[in-house]
Parts: sequence; C-alpha cells; structure tokens
Amino acid sequence: MATIHNEIENWLAADLHGELSESEQSALHAHLVDCAACRKAHHETKTMNKILEETLAHEKPDPAFERRMLAGFRNRIPERTGVSKVLANLMRLRATQITAVAAVLLGLVQIGRMLTGENAAPLPSRENYTSEGFVAQPPQAGATGADQSTSLAKSDELTRGRSQDLALNEPPPPAAPASRSELDKEAAARPMGLAAAKVAAATPQNLARAEQAEAKPGETPAPAQANRKLIRNAAVQLEIVSFDDAVQKITALANEERGYVATTSSEKQANGKLRGTVVVKVLPENLDRFLQKVRGLGELKNQTLGTEDVTKAYLDTDARLKNAHVIEQRLVDMLKTKTGKVSDLLQVEKELGRVREDIEKMQGELKYWDSQVQFATVTVSLAEKEMEEPAAFLIKERSQLALYAPDVEKIYNDIKALASQKVQVTNAQLNRDYSGRVSATMSMLIAPEESDAVITRVKSLGRVENFQTQTERIAQGGSGMSENAKTKRDKVELNITISREEQEQAFQQTSLRIRTSSVDERAKDLRAVAEKQGGRVRSSTFSRDPNGRELANVWLRVPMKNYPTLMQSLDSLGKVENVTVQRQDRTGTQIDEANAPADISIQVYSQGNIVSHESGLLATLRRTLAQSAGAIMWSLRMIGVAIAFLAPWVIAIVGVIWITQRVVRAKR
Amino acid sequence: MDASELEQYRAAIHGDREAFEMIIRTHSRALFAIAYGVLQNREEAEDVVQDSLVKAWKTRWRVRDAEKFLAWLATITRHRAHDIFRKRRAVSLSNETIEATESHPADTTAIDQQLHSALAALPEVHRTALILRYFEEMDYRTIENTLGLTNGALRGILGRALASMRKQLRPALASPD
Repeated sequence: MATIHNEIENWLAADLHGELSESEQSALHAHLVDCAACRKAHHETKTMNKILEETLAHEKPDPAFERRMLAGFRNRIPERTGVSKVLANLMRLRATQITAVAAVLLGLVQIGRMLTGENAAPLPSRENYTSEGFVAQPPQAGATGADQSTSLAKSDELTRGRSQDLALNEPPPPAAPASRSELDKEAAARPMGLAAAKVAAATPQNLARAEQAEAKPGETPAPAQANRKLIRNAAVQLEIVSFDDAVQKITALANEERGYVATTSSEKQANGKLRGTVVVKVLPENLDRFLQKVRGLGELKNQTLGTEDVTKAYLDTDARLKNAHVIEQRLVDMLKTKTGKVSDLLQVEKELGRVREDIEKMQGELKYWDSQVQFATVTVSLAEKEMEEPAAFLIKERSQLALYAPDVEKIYNDIKALASQKVQVTNAQLNRDYSGRVSATMSMLIAPEESDAVITRVKSLGRVENFQTQTERIAQGGSGMSENAKTKRDKVELNITISREEQEQAFQQTSLRIRTSSVDERAKDLRAVAEKQGGRVRSSTFSRDPNGRELANVWLRVPMKNYPTLMQSLDSLGKVENVTVQRQDRTGTQIDEANAPADISIQVYSQGNIVSHESGLLATLRRTLAQSAGAIMWSLRMIGVAIAFLAPWVIAIVGVIWITQRVVRAKR
Repeated sequence: MDASELEQYRAAIHGDREAFEMIIRTHSRALFAIAYGVLQNREEAEDVVQDSLVKAWKTRWRVRDAEKFLAWLATITRHRAHDIFRKRRAVSLSNETIEATESHPADTTAIDQQLHSALAALPEVHRTALILRYFEEMDYRTIENTLGLTNGALRGILGRALASMRKQLRPALASPD
C-alpha cells in the first residue's frame, strides 16, 4: 500500500475522474481507511474537483461553438464548385495522382527529346518537305556546274591561247625579224645543202685518194706501179629509171673498159619496181673511167672507193713459197736416198705432206691476189626511181553500232543467222549479268560488196544508237601518194553491241513536280497518259505520311517525238512546277532523235492537311490560320523548352526550401 | 482510435471536405480546450481554433500518418495559441491582466480569481489536461491521444495538477468548509 500512499494524488484524481478499475478502487478505499493524511488529501481533492467543475463550467464553450467554427471555416475556405470540385475530387484519387505524375514525367522526357533533337520531327514544315522531295536535283545542278566550270576552263584556255597567239604575233620587235630571217636563210640553204652534201660526200673520198696517193711514194720509193699489188674496190648506188636498161648499159661499158659483168641480181618490189646489184670486174687502170661512165646512167646516191695494198703480204707469201719449195725438194731427196729407220722415213713423209699443203695454200693465195689485183671490183646497186610509190591502196572500213531492243537474244540470233561465206562472224558473245540483264557483243567481217546490205539489215533490227564508221586507206607496197595506184576495198569490220532498251541512256532527262490534292488518282492518270503517248512507266512509287501528305514518284520513258505532247497533257493533271530538263548531246554519233528515249521523272505530291493549295480567299484564310497554328505550336515548343530547362531547378529549389523549413522547425 | 475514425482522418488529409467538417464538429471543443489552456481567454481561444482549422485544412497534405492527425491538429492549435500569447505579452502584460480581470463578471468570487491564477501558474501540459478533462469530460485515453502523451502518463499529470491546485487553493478551500 506504500505505492498508493506515495502516489495518492494520482490515485485520488483518477478516482474522482472514474478512471480507476474496481480492484484499484477497493485498494484505494482500504488505504484511505487506514491513512488519515490521505483521507485529508482525498477530502481536499474532492472539494477542489467540485470547485473546478463549477468554475470551469462557466468557461466551457456554448453549444453553438461547433456551428460557429464550421461557419467560420466555410467562410474562410469557400467550397469549390463545378469542374474544379470534380477535378479536385478526381485528384484525390491515388490512381489519378500517379497517372498525373507519370504524364508530367513523360511530357518532360518528350520535351527533352525534342530539345536534344533525337527523332525530332514535331512540326513538319514546308521547307522540310521540299528539301526531302527534291534531293535528286542538286547532283544535276552539280553536273551542270561542272560543265560550266569545264567550259569556263576551256574559255580560260582559249584566252590563254589567244594571249599566246598575241605573244607570237607581237614578239619583242628586234627578235622576230632576226629569227625569221634566220629561218629564211635556213630554208634557202636546204636545197643548196643537199647539193653541198653530195659534194661533201665526194670530197672525203677524194681526200682519201689523195692521201693514198701521197702514201704510196712513202711506202715504196720506187715508182714501179707494176710491182705493186693493189686491190681496188668500188661501190656505187644509183637510182635509175629502168633496171634492165641500166644493166645493159653497164655491160656495154664493162666491155668497153675490158671488163666483164660478174654477177647480176635483181628483186622485184611489191609495187613492181626493181632493185638489184651488178658486180662488174674491170681493169684497175680503167676503174676511174668506168666509174665516171657509170655515174652517167642515173642519179648517184652513194659511192665508195677502196684500195687495199697487199704488196707486202704478197711478197712474204711468195718468199715463203720459194722456201717451202726448197724444203720440199730436200725432203723428196731424203726419201729418194731411203736411208735411216722406217719411223724416220714416215716422219719425213708426214712433214712432206704438210709442206706441200702449205705450198698449195700459198699458191692459192697468190693466185687470188693476182686475180684481185688484175681486176677491180665494182658493185653497182641499182634501184628504180620512185621506189616508195605505193602500188595500191586498200580501204579498210570499221563500223560499230549499238542496238537497243526489247529482246536481245532474238536479235543476237538474227545477226548470227546472217553469216555466210561473205559474212563472217568473228566474235559473238552473249552476256547475262547477275541481275538477269542480257547484253551481247558481236564482231563480223563482211565482204565489201555485201557490207552495205548487211549493215542496213542489222540497223533495221533495233533502235540504232551511236553508229560510227571509220575508214582507213592503207597504201600497199610503199608509202606516200600515187596517182595511178589502184584503190581496193577491204573487208568491212563491224562491231555490234546489243543491249536491252532499259539500259539505253536517255537522250533527254526531265524532272518536274505536280502539285495536286489527290495524288494517287493523279498518278494513275499520269500512267494512263504516258501509255497513250507510247511511253513506258519504268517505276512508280506512292507513299503517304501520317500528316496526310502524299507523294508519288513516277519515272517514264517516252520516245522524243511524243515528248512535247506528253508534257502538254501533264498540265491537265495539276500545277506543274520545277521543270528541269537535261540533255547530253553526243556529238559525232548518229542518233535517231525521234525515237530516242526521253526520261521523265515526275513527283506528284500533296501538301497534306495543314495547308491547301487552292487559291482564293478561303484558302488564304486557311493558310494564314495554319501559319498562326504553326506559330502557336512553335511558341508551345519554346515554352516546353523553357519548362524543361527550369523544371529541374524549380524542383531542386523547392526541395531545398522544404528541407530548410523542416530543419528550422525541428530546431524550434 | 477505431477504423472509421482513421478513415475519416485519411479522407480529410486527401481533401475530403465533408470528412474535415466532421472532424471540426467532433474535435473543435478539444482544440478549444487546448487553446484555452494556453490563453485562458474564450474569445482568443475561439479565434485560435478557427485559425488553426483553416491552417490545418490548407496544410493537411503535410500529414503523413493519419493516426497522428488529431495530435497534429492539437499541435497547430497550441502553436497558434502560443503565438497569440506571445503577442499579447509583448503588447502589454499589465493591461491585459487588468482587462482580463475586468472582463470577468462582477459576481465572480474570490475563489474564482484564485482558481484562475492557480491555473495560470500550472505548467501548460497540466493546465491543458485539466481543461480537457473538465470541459469535455474526456476519458484519459482520449486526452492522451489528443495531447500525444504516452499511455498512462495522464494519470500522473492530472494527479500532480490537482495536487498543486489544491495546495495553492488550500486557504480558500478551508474557508467554505
């Protein structure tokens, strides 16, 4: 019971307030019976409780307190109505809150992506569209640009050339006359030079002869011409009119000078001219006179004269011969006596044979020299005039053509079927590439009389492109010109390449755009129009993007003759824009212009939903509205940008403020 | 604190106005007691309760735990009351007390005045507990919940409060007997 006594105040209060359990109450009452102090406290507390109850009852709020509170609250916080209430109620839902947060996050992410340009195509603008649509243009422009630049370069060259010309025409005044006069002099000197050259050619020989003449007395002081063994040779090159005449005359001359014609040889050239040599033997003392006479036969081209002095060798040989004869005699004597051993005899016999052989050799040598010395050898080379004149001309024709046809193989076989004895196919090749395109190359040789017919036939098989003929005149048996040489036609060489029509390069390329509201229909119309004009649709595409813009690309090929009509009919399909025409003229080739293919690339497009392109007030109004919508979208985008930039900062700042508030409050 | 009550607090936190008004109906007297405990002036206490309710509505989202809603409400009220109390003291303590004494009806006995001064001398928690008890006849459990006290602490508080009151008022108490 000590606890009750110690905490009597608590117990008493709880007892008065009815917060004691039954066991506690009985325990308290038991203690109060025992303890006088606590009894007193109990009594006082009871009185206190009573006073408090009475006094504070006055202070108690009146019954209308709650209503006042409510009214005040409602006054100060007016209830939301209508949409805002619904929204507020909606926002109270967890799911809505989560959704909203997710949406905001997504939006931020999207804005961020827009900003960073990742996959950024939020506002399709007309500029984008046009730049997409006509990517094909710049290369063409580039090509023309290149053309221009080359032409510019050419013109540069021209001007440079002109300036050079000018420079040539107007060189520094003193230099020009000098050089020209020099040239003149040279030109004048040339004919003279030829004559002089002949003279010069003659002079060294004369000089040589003179030298020899001078040398002779030096070698042998005795002027005994007869004892001297001299071999004289001469070579003469002559251009004569007729070979046979010349030979006859030479023979006559040789006879006159007590000589003879040793050998004649002649050879006939392809052009019928003769060329040959005549070897004449004349007495040495008559040689000079003979040469003089021979020169008169025609034009002297070249002459050499040589003298070989064999005197010393002749005398040596002669002496050795005499010696050998003596030895021979001695050996013969030895054999005759027949003394000594057999082996010695055999030895002698052998020696005798060798000596005799030497003797014979030396005798032959002497004889040869004698004959050489006895007669001088003159080699006359003869060539008929105009040796170089061609005998005939051969005309070689080489043609090539390119054929374009739908069926390559058929034509290939047709041409092969043309082969006959006069038409030989030398090379035929059919190529098929990986994409299945077929092309063929053929070469053939055609007899001249057949050539025209065959070429015409070949040309009729397909569309001819690039027909080229090359004629070459080949001189036979000589070079240069000839008045009376015959001209013959040789076989004609024909090279053909066959390709499918699709591969043919277009003669003219056109690209244009057609603006219309219904693209697909117009594209169909376009194809119909093209087919009516004998054109072929090479490819056609159609696309529509989510903005409702439609784009169709149609590539056509029409013959040139139908090109103007087709272009006119295009006007009916829509507004034709951006027409560019490009043509590459191939000079120097025959082109069937009327049938040459012209490529037309047409882009049919619509502007989509944003702007309609009809003219008129309504359309203008619509366009204006669309532009303002675009401006609004743009500013929205900018706002998005701003939010995306600011949002993280705002969040961070708010967070910091919140944390500081918490901290400050916690401190307080 | 039963489940329906908790649900009510949760709804109020999430902005359910009706739930909040229900809370005003049921708990504004308790809040008044708290404010009165601090200020011991009915008009001021009423204003404090009113302000606190408005502030609570505006900042209701700060409450994380619905169970502590009531305690939070009490804290707001107490803070507000303290603010007012400080202001009052700053203006003029003497004037106020004279006014306060004058505002009481003429027939108030000496014991009333003694009681009030004794009350004023009590620590705030004791005073508030006392007032909650005697204004609203709240049971101990609810008072503990409202004031955010631990279980069983109130008995000691109220015991000490009554004892100190008793000691102060002993001379006055003796006379009527």
